[in-house]
Amino acid sequence: MKVSGSYVVPVPQERAYALLQDPAILTKCMPGCEGLDLIGENEYAMRMKMVLASVSGLFAGKVKISEANPPASFRLIVEGNGKIGFMKGEGLLTLSPSGDGTNVQYEGDVHVGGTIANVGQRLLDTTARMLIKRFFEKLASEAGQSERRLAAD
Amino acid sequence: MATTISKPETLVGKSIRRQEDPRLITGTATYLDDIKMPGMHHACIVRSPHGAARIRSVNTAAALALPGVAAVFTGADIKDLGAVPTASSLPGLRVPHHHLLAQDRVYYAGHPVAVVVATDRYIAADAADLVEVDYEPTPAVADPEKALAPGAPAVHPQWPDNIAFTFHQEGGDTAQAFRDAEVVVKQRITSQRLIPTAIETRGVVAEWRQGDKAVTMYSSTQIPHLLRTICAAILGMPENHLRVITPEVGGGFGSKLNVYAEEALMCFIAKRIGKPVKWVESRRENFQCTIHGRGHVDYYELAAKRDGTMLGLKLKLIQDLGAYHQLLTPAIPTLSVLMMPGLYKFKSITADIIGTFTNCVPTDAYRGAGRPEATHGIERMVDILAAELKMDPVEIRRKNFVGKDEFPYATTTGLTYDSGNYGAPLDKALAAVDYAARREEQVEARKAGRLMGIGISAYGEICAMGPSAAMPAGGWESATVKIEPSGKVTVMTGASPHGQGEETTFAQIAADELGVDINDVMVVHGDTSVVQYGIGTFGSRGTAVGGAALFYALQELKAKIRKFGVMLLGSENVALVGGSCVDQETGKSVSFAEMVTAAHHAKTLPPNTQPGLVATHFWEPPNFTFPFGAHIVVTEVDRDTGAIQIRRYVAVDDCGKVINPLLVSGQVHGGVAQGLGQALWEEAVYDDDAQLVSGELTDYALPRAHFMPFIESSHTETPSPVNPLGVKGVGEAGTIGCSPAVVNSVVDALAPLGVRHIDMPLTPQKIWKLIQAGGHA
Amino acid sequence: MIPQSFEYTAPQTLKEALALIEGGERKILAGGMSLIPLMKLRLAQPAEVVDLGRVPGLNYISETDGVVRIGAMSTHHAVETSPVLRAHCPLLAETAAMIGDPQVRNMGTMGGSIAHADPAADYPASLVALEARIRLVSAHSERTVEASEFFQDAFTTSLEPGEIVLEVEVPVEPSNEGSRYEKFAHPASGFAVVGVAARIRKSGDRIAMARIGVTGMGTHAFRDRAAEQVLESGGTIADAAAIVGAGEQPNSDLFASADYRLHLARIHAARALTAALSRAS
Repeated sequence: MKVSGSYVVPVPQERAYALLQDPAILTKCMPGCEGLDLIGENEYAMRMKMVLASVSGLFAGKVKISEANPPASFRLIVEGNGKIGFMKGEGLLTLSPSGDGTNVQYEGDVHVGGTIANVGQRLLDTTARMLIKRFFEKLASEAGQSERRLAAD
Repeated sequence: MATTISKPETLVGKSIRRQEDPRLITGTATYLDDIKMPGMHHACIVRSPHGAARIRSVNTAAALALPGVAAVFTGADIKDLGAVPTASSLPGLRVPHHHLLAQDRVYYAGHPVAVVVATDRYIAADAADLVEVDYEPTPAVADPEKALAPGAPAVHPQWPDNIAFTFHQEGGDTAQAFRDAEVVVKQRITSQRLIPTAIETRGVVAEWRQGDKAVTMYSSTQIPHLLRTICAAILGMPENHLRVITPEVGGGFGSKLNVYAEEALMCFIAKRIGKPVKWVESRRENFQCTIHGRGHVDYYELAAKRDGTMLGLKLKLIQDLGAYHQLLTPAIPTLSVLMMPGLYKFKSITADIIGTFTNCVPTDAYRGAGRPEATHGIERMVDILAAELKMDPVEIRRKNFVGKDEFPYATTTGLTYDSGNYGAPLDKALAAVDYAARREEQVEARKAGRLMGIGISAYGEICAMGPSAAMPAGGWESATVKIEPSGKVTVMTGASPHGQGEETTFAQIAADELGVDINDVMVVHGDTSVVQYGIGTFGSRGTAVGGAALFYALQELKAKIRKFGVMLLGSENVALVGGSCVDQETGKSVSFAEMVTAAHHAKTLPPNTQPGLVATHFWEPPNFTFPFGAHIVVTEVDRDTGAIQIRRYVAVDDCGKVINPLLVSGQVHGGVAQGLGQALWEEAVYDDDAQLVSGELTDYALPRAHFMPFIESSHTETPSPVNPLGVKGVGEAGTIGCSPAVVNSVVDALAPLGVRHIDMPLTPQKIWKLIQAGGHA
Repeated sequence: MIPQSFEYTAPQTLKEALALIEGGERKILAGGMSLIPLMKLRLAQPAEVVDLGRVPGLNYISETDGVVRIGAMSTHHAVETSPVLRAHCPLLAETAAMIGDPQVRNMGTMGGSIAHADPAADYPASLVALEARIRLVSAHSERTVEASEFFQDAFTTSLEPGEIVLEVEVPVEPSNEGSRYEKFAHPASGFAVVGVAARIRKSGDRIAMARIGVTGMGTHAFRDRAAEQVLESGGTIADAAAIVGAGEQPNSDLFASADYRLHLARIHAARALTAALSRAS
């Protein structure tokens, strides 16, 4: 499944790039993420609890950042495995200035398997878009807060 | 002693309601999952979620620790057992070793990896979730054409080209036909993967009887005897220590014409744990792990004269086999090749099959098994040729039909069509739909901007499978008829039916032949310890082969009964009339009961005659039968949404002599429903990672009752000379005739937009896109 | 198809039920038409399930003071066949009649359906078009939200943990109003590929009021105010239908791509509006 889109984060590009590499921020913004533990260079083990209406599942996986080209672009790889299925998403995030903020454009490919792929076809696209939207909305709000903290310092 | 005997009304040819229906519709029949046994355990199978992966490890500790879990078996436990075999033998066929449970790799999503056995099915399911399998996913390929492309992932690493076999067949001089051609039309035509979806999923109960050192296996199968032979071989046990009982079977459509790993596994487990064990397939497993049907990509070329005379046909057939060969997997496309000429007089054909491995569940026989694909191909090509030549599709068919005086007719594919009158059902269907009026209506509709189509298919089938020389494991069938001392008649057929209604049709035949009441006849099937060996029910063979065996057994029994009549009447000049034996000179008679009693009490016996009244006949058919018919479908396409409305559905079938018109209509109706399913709605979709994304009934659109058009079905009768009943078989006819008629109709509706072919299923989105591309006519 | 084991409680009063679900950990079972299949697939694995089936007083459809009140446990069949709704809110009865199949309609409930908030469910289109209000209750609070506020995202509503849907309030459709629900059903699931609910009131020859609710298109049902505006300011049905869903990102699946889905929404909007107009007097 191809995913693409863009969101604006209300912080300058360098700052936005730094936030997107920050495991604490990623933990807060990735829906269901309960923690990232560094296991290698730019590579984290992830625990995730997805809850969507009645559906819930625990996933264990990895988050990896590669092809880092600060502050312009990087590749984000997310993998998760759980009893209800597994997913692997890989996408290129490209940052560019947009007014006072930063436009984050993403383009990637998501592979889903197991029960969620076999029976959830009708809702995969909707769900993927909703989760991405939640990620960026949270990121925008976290970015706003971090800006205010920076301003206060 | 009665002196006046009137021959009772015959039952053959009459619409008799099914004897089996009261128990089926009142919930008093016994299906596999109704079986309960003391101490019975339940199995749940752990299956691969990946289309292709290496198995690094399987950890069963947590599952075994769950209270109630009796055992967990993995690939290591069964590696010395035999493989799930294929009965197909083609030259050079590559046969992957099909273990009962995966060893170091999995080859499709759903591949069984481990089995958990517990005291109830809830614990078994919970424990299955606790089995930890560490997979290393590897690249997978689900599309057969992609599998054949250079550099594609190898389904089986030892065969990097993914080719299981190639098969070439040629009849006549195709090269010459194409040189002589004035017009050649070409088309790529697919027949998508379908999921058979019997209402009752598969299921197995196995019981180890320690004292007898024997296993009793209950399985929802179409082939109890073949299952016993093959399972015994897999397990390495004496065949006569394995008894297979088939309870009521809730549909098969070919998907239970197979021997599955789970059947042997449950026997193995029952013996290992010393307890009965039950496994019932879930619907998700049914979708992922029971065979699929079809899976063709066909490239056709048709050579013809400008006057519409068809000369030659070429076919490159890419068969999606899936990851393994099940019982008949590689053989199914060869049936398509046999039937590729359809009802037409081709001077030459050339066919090449490329059997292709993919990381999908195997394909195998599904209602029609190779013939719907062939019929769809030829009937689409004939319409494409007609459009090219601007000929009426009826005219071009009539011009090329094998004539009714040309039978038996030898085809270029090596078959001998037994009998036929191809114009008869077509004429009847044309009259029923009032073809000329529909064409006039279409002219007006088109003027008004409406998209109305009329589609025809004139189809032929190969049924009554079949002569043993052409069948992998024998093609005969058996029947035993016993007359009990009380005069009740027990018929035992080796053709284990599963919804075909043979308890009724066979009782009709026996009642007529013996002159007894139909309610005095009981038809028994599906128990290898009770019923003599048989082949099974598939390939529209139940009545045409099993019924013929029954007919001959009845003749043998009647000859013996007559001997008792001769003895009791003291006259050689006697005849059996309506169950009694009548002295032709004196008119004196003895009743059926008197002769039966005499045979059983055996106070005196006719010369060279044994007591009792039992006859068994194993009948070897000398040929297949070749039913045929015509379907005409009138459709209207919603220009705005692409939705298709079926306005008329006319089905005229010729399946030879009709034993029970009600059952024949029922078979046609059910067959048409499944044909419509393929034409309009159903498709097993695997994504690029070989995940079955149409994995449940929420995405896989089966025909529902309220989707069905009214089916105007009728028959013509052209008896078969192959068997004494004159019957041909009808189980698959509706499906075979349906899909090309529907697609021809919709293509006809869209023809003003320049549409020439559409691949199934004809989803509204697909039609809408064609309408968008074609602009507005 | 066997769920994980779970605790099951069937409270006998609303108070007891609300106390049980306080904290939001326990899963609420209404008709079970969504939850039970998800549990059988093990996609949902609630540890505890609270069944509202035996709570009295949640199953009613009545009209007072121009408002029809529908108890949360009213089945789709009850909604479909209710004389009160047929008389006062035919749109909702018509919508219920198109849900799933008879088995689903006999078991499924309005409260369960809207709380589940499937993006392709039928009711939400009509509820937003009807400007319905949804009464929510918890052990400690009670509040009412507009339907268009209630449906927030896919499977996401404004229900807080510990809250349940108590009832749905629908203003009576005046007798001169015309309405219609048009749906393109998925042949397998029966869900709306798109569904459009339309209401129209006329003043002389012009359209005085138009309401358009759309489901199946995006993450949740929405009212298309821009298209309504076109009609209310003298535009034609074709003009209005042509902008339905503008700015939405339509869903895409095996059956219908985003562009086809948007097209279907517009076709069905035109059909629903045309039918509604013909019913208005």
